[in-house]
Amino acid sequence: MSKVSKRVKVMSAQEAVENLVFHGAIIGMGGQNVTRCAVALAHEIIKQGKRDLTLTGCNLSIHMDLMVGAGLVKKCEFGLGGLGRFGATFQFRRAIEERRMEAEDYDHLTMVCRFLAGEMGIPFIPVRGLMGSDILKYQAPSTKKKFEIINNPWNQGEKVLLVPAMEPDVTIVHVQKADEIGNVLIQGIACHEPELIRASKTTIVSCEEIVPTRFFRTNSDSTTVPYHYIDAVVEQRFGAYPAATTGYYSFDADHINYYQQRSRAGGEEYKKYLNEYVYGCETFDDVLEKCGGVKRLNHLHREMLRLM
Amino acid sequence: MEKVYSENYSGDELMAIEASRFIKSTDTVILGTGLPMVAAIFAQKTHAVGVNFVVESGSIDPILPFAPFTVADPIIGHMAVRTGSLREVLGCMVQRGLVDVGFLGGAEIDQFGNINSTCIGDPQSPKVRFPGSGGANCIASCVPKILIITEHEKRRFPAKVQFITSPGYIDGPDGRKKAGLKMAKPDIIVVTDLCVMQINPDTGRLELTKLMPGVTIDEVYKNTGFEPRLRGKMGEVELPTEAELKILREEVDPNHIYLKEFSKQPRT
Repeated sequence: MSKVSKRVKVMSAQEAVENLVFHGAIIGMGGQNVTRCAVALAHEIIKQGKRDLTLTGCNLSIHMDLMVGAGLVKKCEFGLGGLGRFGATFQFRRAIEERRMEAEDYDHLTMVCRFLAGEMGIPFIPVRGLMGSDILKYQAPSTKKKFEIINNPWNQGEKVLLVPAMEPDVTIVHVQKADEIGNVLIQGIACHEPELIRASKTTIVSCEEIVPTRFFRTNSDSTTVPYHYIDAVVEQRFGAYPAATTGYYSFDADHINYYQQRSRAGGEEYKKYLNEYVYGCETFDDVLEKCGGVKRLNHLHREMLRLM
Repeated sequence: MEKVYSENYSGDELMAIEASRFIKSTDTVILGTGLPMVAAIFAQKTHAVGVNFVVESGSIDPILPFAPFTVADPIIGHMAVRTGSLREVLGCMVQRGLVDVGFLGGAEIDQFGNINSTCIGDPQSPKVRFPGSGGANCIASCVPKILIITEHEKRRFPAKVQFITSPGYIDGPDGRKKAGLKMAKPDIIVVTDLCVMQINPDTGRLELTKLMPGVTIDEVYKNTGFEPRLRGKMGEVELPTEAELKILREEVDPNHIYLKEFSKQPRT
């Protein structure tokens, strides 16, 4: 089936992950820090035990840490792994320190440019930056060729760094609005996702709400990416929880801190978290219920409205 | 108006205020999480009302009523003229050369102003793994004025960082040029709770330019893994005024996200 299709792509997270995510896939990770992380989709990947994954993105945060903590990730290729003011992503950190996972460091601009090359169908792209840093001195064992430095053909003597295009197999993103054929609207900061989505071979988008296609046809200048790049649309309210979704709800600092405590403790403590909040929940709605349900979610929604 | 100085401030508060003094009203500043955000918003609310901010997550010229939690806090887009993508800010602004001031931080900063935010020990099998570059390398590579705010501890200031995540002058005055960086001679200013250090572009090394009130040169040397040369007669960092502290505490960081050591006396 042609990817560029106006067919209805609405399905459950379970179906989307079953259909599109495979063992060994390179997964493009949407979201940054505590905004619009694709947590519901990450939960589903964990529950289905899709393993030997490579995760790629700019800021890999809590949804990456969950997947690493579940033992499904063999490599991360990224700009940064962490949760900012909430601290380190401890599963990620330990997996690298204990050599259970490969880390391929780039930086944010280089990663987004690699997606830019991918989305334009070109093999590599020049970037200023990284030169003189030790990021170029090391590469993960499984990386074939991390970069190349050439002479600028139009300005002899000028060194230019080239990095390869990155085209993830499957990208997971959480957005505010989508329609049933896959037009997508990201509101507020878009981070690296417009490039990431268009660079990916397939994309699963979870959204706060599904709107009629007419919404996009009458606001076409605000379509972040058109349906051509989207393969599955999953309607999941609060699908970024405990991260935030601009315009809908704030992040849940209490739950993120709770996660961080469990993750820092590691071992049985961390397994208990996964059992309780991931494996033990049939749907993501059950996760939300466990985390305080309507009362808590209304509070986070009001906090967001207060900010706006 | 006459300035009424206050001695009732914390180390963090004076670091933020001193760093803000390096920001001009005409500057475009790329924000970073933590005290940099406090310093930049404070500058906008005091002496640099015209300053405009850009943020790596895609926010362009937001109006920030107070310091957000992170650079990806949804409020970072508040009243922005555009909320775009990371590429637009790091690529089309920082790399393009439209940003005047950037803030950086890290686990280690050395005498050449190089920063390590990647790891301690062998990168393939690190003793301690940090988050990595994020937007920092791009900012360090392309922005003409770099501000670093950090606590002053010996382990944070080694002679040479274990891993160069974000290049300063790399290994000397021509280090950046040799490496192929177009921005060959950026200004690098380090503000700590003990002193201010600034890069000398002719030596490629940090020099001691000012001391925090009550701090001695010996104390700086005792807490630094290299011996920064003294630049001229050692001045003292100007104390904050009561009005400045009020703005900082009540407007910039009203929820005490960053300035938790509110009542702590300066380290002397």
